[in-house]
Amino acid sequence: MTTLESNNNNNNSKSFEVFHRIQPHEYLRRFLEHDIRPDGRLLDKFRKTLITTGSIATANSSAMVRLGGTTVVCGIKAEVCEPHVEQPGQGYLVPNVELSPMCSPKFRAGPPPEKAQVTSEFIHQLFTNSDLFPLESLCIEQGKAVWVLYADIVCLNYDGNILDASLLALTAALSKLKLPKAEVSESMMVEADVSNPTQVFEMKRIPIASTFCVFQDPHALLSDPNEAEETLGKEMVTVVMDTQGQVCHVYKNGGHSIDTQVLKTCFERGMERTKEMATLIQEA
Amino acid sequence: MSRLELLTPEGLRIDGRRANELRRITAKTSVFSKADGSAYIEQGNTKCLAAVYGPREGRFRQQMQSDLALLNVEFNVAPFSTSERKKRTKNDKRSLEMATFIKQTFEPVILRRQLPRSQIDIYLQIFQHDGGVLQCCINAATMALIDAGIPMIDYVCACSAGCIDKVPVLDLNNVEESSDTPELTVAVLPRTGKVNLVEMESRLHIEKLQSVTELASQGCMQVHKVLDSVIRENTEYLRDRMNA
Repeated sequence: MTTLESNNNNNNSKSFEVFHRIQPHEYLRRFLEHDIRPDGRLLDKFRKTLITTGSIATANSSAMVRLGGTTVVCGIKAEVCEPHVEQPGQGYLVPNVELSPMCSPKFRAGPPPEKAQVTSEFIHQLFTNSDLFPLESLCIEQGKAVWVLYADIVCLNYDGNILDASLLALTAALSKLKLPKAEVSESMMVEADVSNPTQVFEMKRIPIASTFCVFQDPHALLSDPNEAEETLGKEMVTVVMDTQGQVCHVYKNGGHSIDTQVLKTCFERGMERTKEMATLIQEA
Repeated sequence: MSRLELLTPEGLRIDGRRANELRRITAKTSVFSKADGSAYIEQGNTKCLAAVYGPREGRFRQQMQSDLALLNVEFNVAPFSTSERKKRTKNDKRSLEMATFIKQTFEPVILRRQLPRSQIDIYLQIFQHDGGVLQCCINAATMALIDAGIPMIDYVCACSAGCIDKVPVLDLNNVEESSDTPELTVAVLPRTGKVNLVEMESRLHIEKLQSVTELASQGCMQVHKVLDSVIRENTEYLRDRMNA
């Protein structure tokens, strides 16, 4: 009798997996109707987040972020270069997100996938447009030499929501960045006291991104979608807020139309998330 | 020009090791969910990550072979891994050369005839470059392949050795590699002791070759002990979880 029962149980669990494969939409819908997700999370819960800083000694600053399964490493290297003619007192922040075939079977070898380029550009725009940290603080000498921060963000394991994880890693690395004191000598060479990096980088406001996935049937707003939810979702909304309660950036790329009420919920959940993550970064 | 003393008269190297001491190895497998097999290795300050996907359907149908599995290796160095930022493209000659070495090392070891018409992808990523990159990659790839459950004849354990002031030394770090130290990397199949790969790009006196190669092979055996203990620990953990 018991073998029959256990056989039945085995068949049931196998049929679950088969159903998940052939009807992924329906599978997810059945969970959402009960306000829960296939991995057991409630609709507004973000995955467990871990931040470690300083693991890469060759980089000026580094951080590794684990957002559920998505793992991202950010390494910042500082170099000196001449400033832009039109902005002689500002340095640069150059983010570069790498999504290699290593992190997921979705990405194939070749030119950087669209997702990587979109994420890099998003981060670049975020730091250039909102006044998150003054690029003037990267200036060594007006018109002659500035710091350029190359932030390379490498994704190791892709399980959805690369944007949140990348920004978190970059912010964590920036908060621990220390630059050496540099000055331009008479011979036009920049001398930096590398052995003693003292200038701590001041981040006035810490930006935290929260990404949500919108479903129409049933109407649901999922926080922090994983890879499966991302592919099935109708629309993704990203909200970047800072610790002072200000919205830095809202991104909704015009797929499906959503309610203003839904947007309000995004902001509320985003605010909660920002507070949690800001404490986590400070503790890291 | 001051010359760094790579080996003091007392027999200590820059990082305090003796001539025949390996750097500390930390290894972990199954670090990622998406890859079929993955491993992370730290040898001293060199950090390497390997992810294995396979056997899976190959990307190019025409390249598939009806009796063998195809092996594809990609080697990538993170731009922040070296002391000077160098953004290496994937098709950089050095990276391709490394990838080819590793591919040729593993081709005879993996039982490819058991997996025809499929492709096995090995992706290697270096996070911190402190010398001994080739050996680190080979060790990481071995662990990741075992983690993915791909059938192999044996482990492939690699170690580098060199010669400083006529003394054979084991496991060179970046400072020792960048000075004119001859460096030899050896990959060995531990059970039989057979040599799979020997790589040397510098000049070494032929009388020293024997002792350096032997030292490297001994280093491989030590590496094998560490890797094997990690794999066994992981397998026991898996077995306990399965039985629970």
